[in-house]
Amino acid sequence: MTWLLMPEQQCGSETMIYFDYQSSRPVDSRVLKTMLPYFDKKFGNPSSLHEIGDEATLILEQSRSSVAEFINAEPGEIIFTSGATEANNLALIGYAFRNRGNHIIISEIEHISIHNIAKYLQKNGFVVTKVPVDFYGRINIDALKQRITDKTILISITYASNEVGTIQDIPEIAGLCREKEIAFHTDAVAAEPQIHIDVKNLGIDLMSLSSNDIYGPKGVGVLYIRKGIRLNPLILGGGQEFGLRSGTENIPGIVGMKIAAEIMSQEMDQEVATLKGYQQRLIKGVLENIPDSYLNGHPRARLANNVHFRFDGIEGESLLLGLKDKGISVSTGSACSSKTLEPSHTLIALGLLHEEAHGSLQLTMGRFNRAQDIDTLLNVLPDVVRKLRKLSPLYKGV
Amino acid sequence: MKSTTYSDKVLDHFRNPRNVGVLEGEDIAVGRVGNPVCGDLMEIYIKVEDNTIKDIKFKTFGCGSAIATASMITELAKGKSVEEAEKITRKDVAEELDGLPPIKMHCSNLAADALRAAIKNYKKKENQPEPAKTEFMKITGVDRFKDGGVYHKVVDINRLKDKRVIILDRGEDSVSRACSLQKISPRVIFITPNQRVAFNRNFEERLRKARVKILFESEVLEIIGTKTVEKIKIHDLNEDEVYELFADAIIL
Repeated sequence: MTWLLMPEQQCGSETMIYFDYQSSRPVDSRVLKTMLPYFDKKFGNPSSLHEIGDEATLILEQSRSSVAEFINAEPGEIIFTSGATEANNLALIGYAFRNRGNHIIISEIEHISIHNIAKYLQKNGFVVTKVPVDFYGRINIDALKQRITDKTILISITYASNEVGTIQDIPEIAGLCREKEIAFHTDAVAAEPQIHIDVKNLGIDLMSLSSNDIYGPKGVGVLYIRKGIRLNPLILGGGQEFGLRSGTENIPGIVGMKIAAEIMSQEMDQEVATLKGYQQRLIKGVLENIPDSYLNGHPRARLANNVHFRFDGIEGESLLLGLKDKGISVSTGSACSSKTLEPSHTLIALGLLHEEAHGSLQLTMGRFNRAQDIDTLLNVLPDVVRKLRKLSPLYKGV
Repeated sequence: MKSTTYSDKVLDHFRNPRNVGVLEGEDIAVGRVGNPVCGDLMEIYIKVEDNTIKDIKFKTFGCGSAIATASMITELAKGKSVEEAEKITRKDVAEELDGLPPIKMHCSNLAADALRAAIKNYKKKENQPEPAKTEFMKITGVDRFKDGGVYHKVVDINRLKDKRVIILDRGEDSVSRACSLQKISPRVIFITPNQRVAFNRNFEERLRKARVKILFESEVLEIIGTKTVEKIKIHDLNEDEVYELFADAIIL
């Protein structure tokens, strides 16, 4: 099936400009349309043996095949979960509790779910070490090698940073794991809408995906488990998903992820090319027009939809509020906008000072951004920054 | 409640802050408070005549509530006697703003503290800076990383390409080194225990122009890593806070 029509889809209200795709993405209207019959007309449970149950089994297995194809895996290697966070839990905890050895390595710039799972494993007797990154957010391979011991069973490193967009050298890291006979897990949520991932070719053992990040519904995700990798299940019950994830399958959601993956396979190249254009304009426009502004993350090895800046002397939450007043939705690594009031651990790992991490602005773009969104932001941002700097005791420039 | 859900009054003060700026002159007292964990820093300037706060200004680096509370307290304090102004509490400020998100009550509500600090300084009338320190403390870990990122003087500058480098203030030479390093390294941080770089304003200008980051009133306590330098433990002398900074090399 082909999905040639580009939808004329509006996200948010008429006037809102949305630059926070990393937090949440609208469901593509083509995806939503396909999902709807599975809520009422085709409501069967794949475990049932009657006709409507068979229909559910069929679409479940077709969905598994579509998602497998999306990352060049086998259908039997795909486990549907409630999202990427659950996939991360199943990968790390499921692997750690099943296999011998007690040492796990993660990076300093993982998604918060990986950090908290690692903490949980530490409390349960495992040793967790974190590998540092350089100023651009790339894993320090030498430091990774230094951390590997004969007790190391699992290395989990994100495919690309969900915050600064830096893409890791996954072939090299996966190759190193293969050589040392250590399982390799990657959280590919930020990367999946931007990079054609080929798990077979790369030699990835475990990989987490989210449906929402390819414009599917929330509440669905996938753990790819390479054939031969053994895990303990975390959710026990009726033995669904090869016994690794019990509970009646979320068929409408899974269908949504299927369609989202099919559309993404077809449209990714074009979408990424457009986003890259926006990205270059934003980076150039901001760095040239706003003094004492800097790009965080890697200048080249970065996701096409991500730009991440910091501005001397201002704080991210007030920047966010200033842009909110202009109808622009953004995100920040500032502590003041988080639940914990801690600055972003990713920005700190890059080597930024607290005050710099507080002054950061994260813009993530996606399918429904338009060229005029970029124009509006570039028009508005310099004034907002100037206004806040006037208030700032830290800003020394003019 | 989300940490950024603000009342209309908070948003009004955020959008149109009152009494922004600094006051200068011998009769001006300044209160400066900050919370490095939350990332707020606030300065309040007061001019007192006949025991009354005649003029008051502020500068704030912080989130929406930090800006709004500072703006509000300048309105509350202006025209009040020193004694009355001193009695303004964090709670008063929050109430005048129709409340703050609970999580911000503690950390972004520094305005009352800043005002009190300014009044205290006004009463003391002796805002003399502490004598500058010239000696660095002994740094733990220097010997461990002799071949892994700790340098006494750089032999081959290209070894530091693309590395995050910390340079300690050793006078003019270290300033020049920092400026030339910035050309090949994305991140050079210059650390001085003093309020001025090598007691010289020109050096500071040179570093700023070269986009070198300067940490004033700070000293290095420890170098941390597996086999090479990975983090530096820094003591902020002004705040008396210890924190870790990710870095790849340090020049002593």
